[in-house]
Amino acid sequence: MIHALFIINRSGGLIYHKNFSQHIVQLSSNEALIFAGTFHGIHALASKISPAPKRDTPRDTGIQTIDTKNFRMHCFQTPTGIKFIAVTDLMQTQLTGALGKMYMLYCDYALKNPFYNLEMPIRSEMFDTKLLQLVQAH
Amino acid sequence: MATNTQAQTQAQSLMKLDNKASKRSAMLLEQNVSRPRRDRVGLSAFAFLFAEIIRYSQNRVLGIQELEAKLSEVGQRVGVRVFELAMWREKTVHRETRVLQTLVFINTVVWRVLFDKQADSLERSTENDDEYMITDNEPAILKYISVPKEMTSFSPGAFISGIVEAIACCCQCPARVTSHVVPADGLPLRTVILLKFDSEVMDREKQLEASK
Amino acid sequence: MEKQYKTIGEDAWKNNVEKVNAELFIFTYGSLVVQLVKDYEDYAAVNKQLDKMGYNIGVRLVDDIMARTSLERCSGFTATAEVISKVGFKLFLNVAPSVASWSADGKEFSLIVDDNPLNDFCELPPKAVQDGLWYSNVLCGVIRGALEMMQMQTEVEFVRDVLRGDDTSEIRVRLLRMLDEEVPASDD
Repeated sequence: MIHALFIINRSGGLIYHKNFSQHIVQLSSNEALIFAGTFHGIHALASKISPAPKRDTPRDTGIQTIDTKNFRMHCFQTPTGIKFIAVTDLMQTQLTGALGKMYMLYCDYALKNPFYNLEMPIRSEMFDTKLLQLVQAH
Repeated sequence: MATNTQAQTQAQSLMKLDNKASKRSAMLLEQNVSRPRRDRVGLSAFAFLFAEIIRYSQNRVLGIQELEAKLSEVGQRVGVRVFELAMWREKTVHRETRVLQTLVFINTVVWRVLFDKQADSLERSTENDDEYMITDNEPAILKYISVPKEMTSFSPGAFISGIVEAIACCCQCPARVTSHVVPADGLPLRTVILLKFDSEVMDREKQLEASK
Repeated sequence: MEKQYKTIGEDAWKNNVEKVNAELFIFTYGSLVVQLVKDYEDYAAVNKQLDKMGYNIGVRLVDDIMARTSLERCSGFTATAEVISKVGFKLFLNVAPSVASWSADGKEFSLIVDDNPLNDFCELPPKAVQDGLWYSNVLCGVIRGALEMMQMQTEVEFVRDVLRGDDTSEIRVRLLRMLDEEVPASDD
């Protein structure tokens, strides 16, 4: 199950944060911001310290999952540099499909909404609704 | 002398332009409009364009009413052209001048041309004889728009009401047309297009009825 | 490579894209241009505004392409050109302009837009032609904006347009620099 979702913009700012289950503590908005910024930094460094040779292989795209004893964090970075980070249970080995769908929702209900300003927090009722439907159906 | 040559070159360049332009006119005239040249483009293309039109308009107006008026203006120019095409293509349709026929024409033919479906309902207002409502439960071209809380009275359907206003006018039934978001269960963007026909139209209707 | 992108574009168009009546889109674009001409009363300013609006669209629309195709970042500018034509134009306008006239250094190419939907039904008044209106200039902005989000700074402009009496319509795309040093700008 998907417990929570964070969306981080190109410069490491948190533009969306939502909990979907009771099992997860609500971070204070300050903590969430710190999480976003820190993750953004570590993600960038991770792709830098990747031992993969630079030539002929695709560039390392940074952290994909982080495991703890109780949960797994899945990160999907779009080619434009936006990060979708979902917190799931450990049963969830991979989440690419769902994260891809979330990316599409972001395109539809944030980017195509004339009242959404790029890089800014997403405040769209339609986005909330569609995202919740997606998470519940997952 | 110098001015003379200048005038000559100018005339020449204008003639050249004119030649080029008439080539284009000829191309357009040869184009067959009885069937669409192309069928579909991406809804995304429309959505991005329309979002940008809203953003552009928003920067040039004060307040929601003006914004809606601006979108309606953009829609009206679309409406005139859609009307001409629809009249040309729908051989079975005659140019309607009666209110009810006009409404049905908009409700069915125009909606099909624009949105590939009929509108969801057509009703007469219970309060005012001269008011009619066309309802679309889920206008696809507006589906990605979330109106912010501080603008709840804004109806992006003003663009559609502009189209309808132009068409009503082309049908000799001028009306004031407005758009209103009236959400229903599971249909957050349910849009009601309200037509209030001009008094001359209603008078004419009464005369026509009486002479029957 | 060309073929691979053609397939990606066509697949996505067929299976992953909602569509809308082309004429509604074309008339709406036309109505916008008329609005700008009314607002600015100057064709050069209209060109500029169309480019700007296109840019605003481009920086957003690029994600739509990526989300609907699972494409990754292009490995080079040649691939980029193919993606713009076979995937970008295809997904939104259902046409695929041909890529032509590469410069020797591989940093400039042209898109030949023989079949530009925006042009349907349009005839420019002589004054607009004379004063240099590029009717579809929005496309230049879209390309420039989209490429900027993929770390490419470019210059994009129309050099020919059938609406102005030219034989075809041509958009020139020039790569100025890569904004992100980590991605090699050279071709694969």
